[in-house]
Amino acid sequence: MQSKNAHSSSFRDPSGYIFTDNNTIKRVINPIYFKQYKALMSSGFFDSLIKNKLLISHTEVSNTDDEIIIEPEQISFITYPYEWSFNMYKEAALLTLKIQKYSLEHGFSLKDASAFNVTFYKGKAVFIDTLSFDFYTENSPWRAYKQFITHFFGPLLLASYHGSQQLKLLSNFIDGIPVKMVSSMLPSKTKLSPLLYTNIHLLAKLEDKHNEDYEGKTKTATLSKKGQLNIIMSLYDYIKKLELKETSEWGNYYNKTNYTDSAFKTKATVINNWISEIKPSNLIDIGGNDGTFVRQINYPYTESLVCDIDNNAVDFNYKTIKRNKEDRMLPFVLDVLNPSAAIGLNSKERSSFLERMASYSPDVTLALAVIHHMSLSGNVPFKESAKFFASFSKYLIIEFPKRNDSWVQRLLKSKADFEDYFGFYTIENFESAYSELFVVKEKIHIEDSDRVMYLLETKN
Amino acid sequence: MHFLYFDPGLGAMIIQAIIAAVAGFILFSKNVMYKIKLLLGLAKEDKDDVFDDIEIKDSDVENKN
Repeated sequence: MQSKNAHSSSFRDPSGYIFTDNNTIKRVINPIYFKQYKALMSSGFFDSLIKNKLLISHTEVSNTDDEIIIEPEQISFITYPYEWSFNMYKEAALLTLKIQKYSLEHGFSLKDASAFNVTFYKGKAVFIDTLSFDFYTENSPWRAYKQFITHFFGPLLLASYHGSQQLKLLSNFIDGIPVKMVSSMLPSKTKLSPLLYTNIHLLAKLEDKHNEDYEGKTKTATLSKKGQLNIIMSLYDYIKKLELKETSEWGNYYNKTNYTDSAFKTKATVINNWISEIKPSNLIDIGGNDGTFVRQINYPYTESLVCDIDNNAVDFNYKTIKRNKEDRMLPFVLDVLNPSAAIGLNSKERSSFLERMASYSPDVTLALAVIHHMSLSGNVPFKESAKFFASFSKYLIIEFPKRNDSWVQRLLKSKADFEDYFGFYTIENFESAYSELFVVKEKIHIEDSDRVMYLLETKN
Repeated sequence: MHFLYFDPGLGAMIIQAIIAAVAGFILFSKNVMYKIKLLLGLAKEDKDDVFDDIEIKDSDVENKN
């Protein structure tokens, strides 16, 4: 059935598959799904979701008796659930519920509720699996209900109670966090909440019980549409109000840095001058915190990726994007010492951060106030961090805090007896290691600070 | 017709009736509470709310305007 070279992530759903044609993502629809697809198109259902920017738009490329090929609007960089901040995750969950409610009201139903069906594009969560819809059968329960719990509700609850780091769990549990596990990890007081008791604890219990039913003797369940809508709306209300019970270490980063106002302005001016020389269409800021410096850029670039290790900083950035209705910045969580790996079937289903970065190929990389964390907290030699950054883009704007910088001193002090081991952390060693792979185009010392800005260009 | 390519969980299918009943009760009591608060002038808008309501506008309705 898969005559074209299907994308390595597209094998679960027999309705169709995606493939790459000259770097363009396209989708084949198999005859088994023609009836649904035609109904979704002709009823104006797709149209309405697309107009509301909830579903990615597409155009029909060809239409024969054997297959229909559609070309979705291309998304330049796909982020995965384990790279989202808490509120991004929340928005993806709410989007899924919103779409399911709308589907039910129009005679359809989501046949799956995978978190990988959603990604972020132009400052919003958007549903990207066009073939996830099926006809609603009267009085049938939601088949994707459990998947919604394991992919969305479970991880969000764990994050709310135990911190946003929990959201990374999905990189190990590609088909969602098992309900039993969620149930065991939640505090026992959650059993007193009728909503949490039924949706998590009771579900875990019943799942366990029916696991033994190998013969499938249990009669099929029924549920009225009103009943299903109640589940969806109660989950929507609950998730919308869900908050993290932790505060950020980095949240107020810019209040406690060693930048005076004038140094901050100089740094922004230096970056702005370089960016307007490079004229990038896309850029990435590694360790971009809450996007403060990218927002200082005046040059009209098309898109920026702003990543940070701290979920809360990314979350703060995301909320700013939502409030300002910005549409060219994509924030996500990235640990430079452990960037997202390739996972899933054949380790190819979800590609690694570096693979996605290679095909995204930004025009310039910003690494502001990151190198001391990599070198001193992560023990990464300059040679290795240079290699890491050189793989990203032609230009690198990097900030080097000198040994006297208060933040560097703080990191060094925390090493106690091993402080001498970090004698390598000098500007001379930095320059000589980076000169192996880069040419220094410009170097500017930021007045009123112990920091130096470099504009580097990769050799060859 | 459903193409079921993942396990929906038998327990999860059966339990939905119970969850729905509880959800109905939660929604109902919330509504009542809201109305009481409204009467007492205690209901307040969340200004920091960046997320929309669950309702989706029908494009047909939009076109008629």
